Amino acid sequence: MTGRRVRTAILAGVFGALVVVVPTVAHADPDTDFANALHSHGIYGQKDYNAWIAKIACERLDRGVDKNAYDSAKFVAMQLQKGSTTEQAWQFVALAFQTYCPDKQVLLRQVAEQQPN
Amino acid sequence: MVASLAAAPGIASADATDDYPIPNRMLKTTCTVDQYMAAARDTSPIYYQRYMIDYNNRPVDVENAARDRIYWFFSLDYAGRRQYSEDTATNVYYEQMATHWGNWAKLFFNNKGVVAHATDVCMNYPPVDPTVWNWGPNERPPA
Repeated sequence: MTGRRVRTAILAGVFGALVVVVPTVAHADPDTDFANALHSHGIYGQKDYNAWIAKIACERLDRGVDKNAYDSAKFVAMQLQKGSTTEQAWQFVALAFQTYCPDKQVLLRQVAEQQPN
Repeated sequence: MVASLAAAPGIASADATDDYPIPNRMLKTTCTVDQYMAAARDTSPIYYQRYMIDYNNRPVDVENAARDRIYWFFSLDYAGRRQYSEDTATNVYYEQMATHWGNWAKLFFNNKGVVAHATDVCMNYPPVDPTVWNWGPNERPPA
């Protein structure tokens, strides 16, 4: 994938997730909300598995194993089903932050701001 | 009937093989415990997470003993590890650690795929990194 296409994928993933409409009905189970949100981006797989990966992505940032959203996207990309796109990895990261560690969403804004126009 | 039963495989189930009960790649790896765990954290994140949650749920003395025991295992050469594999396969009481925590070495011994993926890349991690033992939402706060 060329640099330009990667950038496009990142931007699509970041902005796509940032404009996700917040559900009007609060759900008792964030894992279900997360799974539903992933489905809207064509990301499937086991609900529990995806929730584990999302929470672990948050913990990796808390612990300093991952330093930024690029690291998170790289980690997630390794865990998604074969054939998943870079864009899907970024969408997964954005939804994971939104659902499980909203304080990390600032990292996505930093990525968006770093992208050349 | 009797003849067909007698033709059963030559290896009795109680014996160890070069891949059982401890995977061959674990017998042969030259990585340190810390390198292996850091690699497992990245290559089998859920498996690692669940092991660490289980670890965090043990009393401190059991945690300490499990750590000491796995560092001891990694200090053995191939022949020593192979012998240990044999000993644990043939004597269920050989490993005393297991009486305190049945899954004490699950991350290291129980899953060939996990071991294979981690030992593929473990040499790329720092040989000494004790922070690999600090993980999981239920980690006990430092005393």
